Amino acid sequence: MLLEIENCFVSYGQIAALRGVSLGVPAGGAVALLGANGAGKSTLMRTIIGLLRPRAGRIRFAGTDITALPAASRARLGLGYCPEGRRVFPGLSIRDNLLVACWAGRAERARRLEQMFTLFPALGERPGANAWQLSGGQQQMLAIGRSLMNAPRLLLLDEPSLGLSPRLTEEVLGRIPQIVASGTAVLLAEQNAARALSVCGHGSVLRLGELVLAGPAAELAASPDIRRAFLGG
Amino acid sequence: MDLGQIVFNLLALGAAYALVALGFVLILNATGAVNFAQGDLVMAGGFAAVSFASMLDWPGVLLLPLVMAGLALVGVAVALVAYLPLRRRPPESVFISTIAVGIIAQNAATLGFGAQARAAPPLLPGGDGPGQKLAIILVAAALIGALYVMFMHTQTGRRLRATAQDRDIAAAIGIRVDAMVIATFAVAASLAGAAGLLLANLFFVTPVDGANYILKAYIAVTIGGWGSIAGAVTGALLIALFEVLWPALPLLLPGLDAISGAFSQTMSTIALDIVILLLLMLRPQGLFGQAARSRA
Repeated sequence: MLLEIENCFVSYGQIAALRGVSLGVPAGGAVALLGANGAGKSTLMRTIIGLLRPRAGRIRFAGTDITALPAASRARLGLGYCPEGRRVFPGLSIRDNLLVACWAGRAERARRLEQMFTLFPALGERPGANAWQLSGGQQQMLAIGRSLMNAPRLLLLDEPSLGLSPRLTEEVLGRIPQIVASGTAVLLAEQNAARALSVCGHGSVLRLGELVLAGPAAELAASPDIRRAFLGG
Repeated sequence: MDLGQIVFNLLALGAAYALVALGFVLILNATGAVNFAQGDLVMAGGFAAVSFASMLDWPGVLLLPLVMAGLALVGVAVALVAYLPLRRRPPESVFISTIAVGIIAQNAATLGFGAQARAAPPLLPGGDGPGQKLAIILVAAALIGALYVMFMHTQTGRRLRATAQDRDIAAAIGIRVDAMVIATFAVAASLAGAAGLLLANLFFVTPVDGANYILKAYIAVTIGGWGSIAGAVTGALLIALFEVLWPALPLLLPGLDAISGAFSQTMSTIALDIVILLLLMLRPQGLFGQAARSRA
């Protein structure tokens, strides 16, 4: 397993947000993290990148115990994080939003920038525009591009379809197979369970901070429990 | 005094004020906190120039890198002592801790140099003249230009700006946020040091000068637009415009001699304050206040 989360407990003050969650993402695989609003998906993502500290439990990444590492070190080890709500740097241009997230040398930085413009052509149209001027969909693409700029081994994608129209959701989620094919594993937190399962090999379901179900995406998509809870029947 | 000389004086003073205001706005952007010690760092820069000059007998332009490096170290110390321990507290705690740093700096300067006014050497060897003012303008412009290139066109500059805009996300893309904040304090303090050297030659330096300079920086940043770099420079030039041009108006327009009382230094301050009040009523966000906003 590229990422292994073992029995993680996270709380906000007195309130338990994750209760003994264990989860794995294989190298080169794609896992959908499903669950309703408040189930703990974003909390788990923030814990993996290191913006939250677990009260108990371990996180291993590529064979290294990263539980005690700060977020910056985790990012440089090969974790890419695309946060809920996009969080692009509003006053930085598209180009600078992408370049700032890359730790390779100048020539490699320029090459990756071109790669992102190929993956998301809309970003390459006016690379000098400030991020706050972009539409929600463009900001989402920029946020994903930013999290790919350091060529991560695992991409954490937190609710990329939030606030997007169905067409844009399709455009954003539709890139995931391409990203996985390029060798980057993906952990995708999504409320849109049907679409998330269609682009991922595995799925896990969180409810009230606990992992209640996990399995191959095709099985989950067919499971009556899931259909009732997330797929509207 | 002819118009050319007045313009030189105005730009030289404005450029020095701009360095003070820039240091202030850099820390403001990076931490969300007001560094009330910025004026006292200018004063410290002035005394650093005075003491290096007493040891080395160099012209100001050679002392400048020494003063800036020395003040950069002071900036690192201020970050370690007055900012980092309080970074998870509300910004008001940093107001208080930087005010304390300022008081310590004032008293240290009084202890080391006494209360009398000192002067730093001019930038260029030789006499007083328009050449010195031009040198001040060029040095300040070069520093501002270098700062611009560093911030806009280098990876370090991008990381500093990203840290200023969203700390958590900056950390999540691999940036050592605390190191960036310390670097920002170092840059801001070295700008204050440069301004201190220039101003301690244009005027004098005494241990209590800090309050005057922090007030000017605060005004420059408020009228320019809280957090705007271009606004800070513009605001600083506007302050210099009033301080230099207003008292000189009767010389330029002889018809005004009859009411020359209206063109004293005091009246120029009053005029500036009135303009600030009007500006804040008409444009509360400042001149460049919309440079960076978030999209709803």
